[in-house]
Amino acid sequence: MRHFQEMNPTAVTVHLLLTAGIAMFSDNMILLGFSLLCAAAFYVMQKGMTNWRFHFFALSMPLVIAVLNPLWNQHGTTILFFMNQRAVTLEAILYGVMAGMRLSAVLYWFQNFTLLMNSEKIFYLLRCLSPKLALVFSMALRNISVYQGQLKKIHQAQKALGMYRENHLIDDIRISLRVFSVLLSWALENGIITANSMAARGYGVQKRSSFTHYRWTGYDLVLTAVSLVMAASVVWAAAEGYGQWQYYPVVVVPSCSVMNIGITGIYVILASLPLIHEGKEILTWKCLLRKI
Amino acid sequence: MIVISSGRVRRIIGIVFPMILIPALVLITSYVFPQNYALNSLLIVICALVLFVAGFDRREIGTRRAVLVSVMTALSVIGRLFPVMKPVSAITILSGMYLGAESGFLVGALSAVLSDFFMGQGPWTPFQMLSWGLIGLGAGWCAPLLCRRKWTLLVYGALSGAAFSMLMDIWTTIWTYGRFSAAAYLTAIVSAVPFTLQYAVSNVIFLWGLGKPMGDKFKRIQKKYGL
Repeated sequence: MRHFQEMNPTAVTVHLLLTAGIAMFSDNMILLGFSLLCAAAFYVMQKGMTNWRFHFFALSMPLVIAVLNPLWNQHGTTILFFMNQRAVTLEAILYGVMAGMRLSAVLYWFQNFTLLMNSEKIFYLLRCLSPKLALVFSMALRNISVYQGQLKKIHQAQKALGMYRENHLIDDIRISLRVFSVLLSWALENGIITANSMAARGYGVQKRSSFTHYRWTGYDLVLTAVSLVMAASVVWAAAEGYGQWQYYPVVVVPSCSVMNIGITGIYVILASLPLIHEGKEILTWKCLLRKI
Repeated sequence: MIVISSGRVRRIIGIVFPMILIPALVLITSYVFPQNYALNSLLIVICALVLFVAGFDRREIGTRRAVLVSVMTALSVIGRLFPVMKPVSAITILSGMYLGAESGFLVGALSAVLSDFFMGQGPWTPFQMLSWGLIGLGAGWCAPLLCRRKWTLLVYGALSGAAFSMLMDIWTTIWTYGRFSAAAYLTAIVSAVPFTLQYAVSNVIFLWGLGKPMGDKFKRIQKKYGL
């Protein structure tokens, strides 16, 4: 049993960035619809039916931009009605729906990315680019949770002094500035002590090795290769002009040729790779349980 | 503060990125995907980030500065989780002033990435990184002026709050409507006025309240540990 998030971080990142990247710059409404569907399904699979506020925000995007776009976009020829002497065109509304779908698909993909990654994996990814940047990054990530705890302690101590009135705007600002300032001096001292003890243990003297438990397995290599090949073929086909929608001055949907459908098909397979993987793992697990 | 340790790699990036890669990217993307301005701008912003990081030179022993950058980044990420008042720009400005321009850039850029793990990652992350990074870099360059008079610091804070909002509006316009138009940009700026004001006002308040104590603390640390 190996979940998608337990795969090599490089493979996962390459796959997600390619999938989100194509969605980010595509104007093909069908492709974007499938992208949104796969991303949202994977999100729900990972997190369950929680976080309704995010779902509402993301899924209302197509509606919101469809309303907003015609307000300053008069391109398009099919005039539906006039508002304040400005023409509201069908093309502008459709473009708005497309842009909204794109936005919410990308939002979902990046949410999935945030779900699948943690500080350890980010460190692993950054390590090959710049070890020093990776160190700063992971120290900052650790410091966040340390400081949150410290912030609570300082706040309680300051409140216990009894110098601040409750529910008083100016005192609220004063106490938060003071708490922050106290946290700052503590954090600076703490940081310098950390740096000194790092130096004492010989950090930066020589090239250091570091341990991570992420390995490349055959499965990771296959995932990376498959995503690269699929994304490359989609980008190549898009550059050749296949599967491109035109919105202004009139909406032109590409014809039902093999290439035009193929480009969407390949992208759908690419976008549903995480779903397929998770589905396969769940099925295997069920089969194994039954054998017992 | 040095991020890319190999001098040869930095020199290659310094030549290849502005001279070859950025023009080539612009030409290729505008030829292959005409009118995809969003793709163009995103790629160039990412190149600009790498270029800035590659420009950082070898100066000072790195460990303490690196640790202080991570401390300031963590503080500003925590600050971004506060309701209404966001001290991210204020902390970026102060670290630019007292730790140097390059550290200011790094604090701004890193706190954008890290805080977006809580606020939501997206294609806007590189733009936030660049905007905040530039605010920190500018503060580092103007450090002598900003340290001397308090009102210059407050004006810089207010201006950088407004500049951040306006820089981000460029991206919002390009990405939402597929192209940049002055009318849509104006609408975006007008609809973002509450946010612009919020950024500017919270910057001024934080710099007004924290500017002097923070400066004293940095000076104390510098004296105590000989930074």
